[in-house]
Amino acid sequence: MAAPPNNSAASPPPGPALAGAGGPAASENGPALKKVWPANRWDPRVLILQCAVVAGLLLAWEAAVRSGFAPAYLYGQPSGIWLKAVNSIASGSLLRDSWVTFEESVAGFLIGGVLGTAAGLALWISPLAGKVARPIIVALNGVPKIALAPLIIIWFGIDIGSKIASAAILTFIVSLITAQSGTSRVDADLLTLMRSLGANRWQTFRKVVMPATVPWIMAGLRLNVGFALIGAVVGEYIAAKEGLGYLVYYAGTLYDLNSVWLGIFALMVMALVLDGAVTVLERTLRWE
Amino acid sequence: MDAMTPTAPVLEARNAGMVFNPGTPDAVEAFRDVSFTVAPRETLAIVGPSGCGKSTLFNCIAGLLRPTSGSIFVGGNRVGDTAGHVGYMLQKDLLLPWRTVLENVVLGLEVRGTPRRASEAKAKDLIRSYGLAGFEAAKPSQLSGGMRQRVAFMRTLALDPDVILLDEPFSALDFQTRLLLQIETMSIIREQNKSAILVTHDIGEAITMADRIIVMTHRPARVLAVHDVELGQEDRDPVNIRENPHYNACFKQIWSELGAKVAS
Repeated sequence: MAAPPNNSAASPPPGPALAGAGGPAASENGPALKKVWPANRWDPRVLILQCAVVAGLLLAWEAAVRSGFAPAYLYGQPSGIWLKAVNSIASGSLLRDSWVTFEESVAGFLIGGVLGTAAGLALWISPLAGKVARPIIVALNGVPKIALAPLIIIWFGIDIGSKIASAAILTFIVSLITAQSGTSRVDADLLTLMRSLGANRWQTFRKVVMPATVPWIMAGLRLNVGFALIGAVVGEYIAAKEGLGYLVYYAGTLYDLNSVWLGIFALMVMALVLDGAVTVLERTLRWE
Repeated sequence: MDAMTPTAPVLEARNAGMVFNPGTPDAVEAFRDVSFTVAPRETLAIVGPSGCGKSTLFNCIAGLLRPTSGSIFVGGNRVGDTAGHVGYMLQKDLLLPWRTVLENVVLGLEVRGTPRRASEAKAKDLIRSYGLAGFEAAKPSQLSGGMRQRVAFMRTLALDPDVILLDEPFSALDFQTRLLLQIETMSIIREQNKSAILVTHDIGEAITMADRIIVMTHRPARVLAVHDVELGQEDRDPVNIRENPHYNACFKQIWSELGAKVAS
C-alpha cells in the first residue's frame, strides 16, 4: 500500500535554497515526489472469474461422473461431497476436525516461525555460530521429516503435542533458512556505512539487518502456511483420533472418496485463511 | 608535503601504505608511501585511474581499515579502529528504504545516542536549510536521485564531522543533477567550515570542487602530482568554469598525467 502523499506533494516547496549559488538550483525542476505506482485495487472481475473457474471444474466433474465416464467410487462426486459437507457441518464433526487441525497448524506455525526466525537472525549476530551451524542446517533441511515420526511419537505422545511438534519442526527449518539467507544478503555497503557512523554490531542489527530481513521473513512465513498444514496432517496420519488428516486418512481406508475430498477442501480453505493472515501481517510490517 | 597554511592540518597522512594479505601469494598492495595534509576548510580532491586503491585509502581515513605502514591523523589523533569522527559519503546514497527522510538524517545521531528530540531538531534544521522542507515524512523511494543524495549528505552533516569524505558521490546521477549537486555541496561545505576529501574519476568535478588536487598513480597508488586550483568561489559556476583558462590548463595537465599512467 502506498503511503498517502503528504501535502507537499500537491504544492512542491521552492527549489533548494543555496547559500551563495542560488542561480543553478532554480533551474532544477522543483523537487517533487515521484509518483508511486498505485496499489493493486480490488477488482470484482477477479473474484467472479475465480468463482466461475471453480464452478466450471466442479460441473465438469459432476457431468463426467453422471455420464458414467468417471466412476464415483474412484473419483468421488461433487454432489456427494456437498451432501457429506451438509451432514458433517450439521453434526459438528467437520468443524471439530477442522478446529483441531487449525489449532495444531497455528501452534506449530507460531512456535516454528518465532524460534526459526530468532535462530536465523541470531546466526548473523554471531558469525562463528553461523559457520558452525551451516552443515547442521543443511543436514536438518535434507532429512525427510517423516523419518522423525517415531521420535516425535515417543517424545510428544499421540495427542495434539505430536502434531504441533511436527508442524513446528517443519516451519522452524524454513524460517531459520529464510531469515539467515535474508541477513546474509544485506547490502555490504550499508554495513560499512553503519561502521563509519560508529555503530556497534547490535545497533547495526537493530537498525539495518533486522528491518532489511523482514521481506525474507515474510516470504518464509508464507511458505510455512503450507508446511504447518503438512506437519499437522502428517502427524494425524501417523496416529490420531480427530482432525482433518485423520478424516482424510480414515475415509480413504473405507473408500469413502467424498469424505476424502471434503477433508481436502477444508484444508484448502484453511490454507487460504492462514495465507490471508500472513498477508495482513505483511502489510503492517512492509516497507517496500 | 607540508600544509600550505600555518594552521595545524585537520587531516594528515604520513607515509601511509596498505597491503592486503601481506606475505602471501595473494598479497595486493593498494597504496604505498602516501603523504598529504588537509588544512581546515580546505577541500582536497584525489583523482587516479580506476582500481588504484582510492577507496581503500578512504576506508583507512574513516577508520574502517588500518594502514599496514605509516599512519593517518585526524584532528591530531591517530586513526585507530574506532570510527565516527569523519563523515563518509558514497556513490550509493544508502538511505534506509523503510525510514523517512527525517529518520534517515538522524541515523548517525541515533547511533551516537543523542536524545531523539535534539537530533530531530537538528535534522529538521538541516532539511529546511538545504531545500527539502516538506519532505521530512517522505520515503526515499518517493525522491529523485539528486534529492536522495542530498538526504545522504545531510545524514553526514548531522554528525558535525571535521572532515567529510566524498567517495564519487555524484557519479550515479545524471549530468545536470551532478553539476548542481557539485556546486551545492561545495557551498554547504564552505558555509559549515568543513574540510573535505573528494575521490573522483571526473577531472572536471575535481577542479570545480577542490582547492587542491592530488593525482595518484596506478596500483600501488602513490602521489604522482599535486595541483593548486587557483579559482575563486565566484569562478566555480559549473557552466562558466569550463571557459576559464586555468580550468582548461589544469584539466589538460591532469589528463596527461593520468593518461601517461594508464598507458604504461
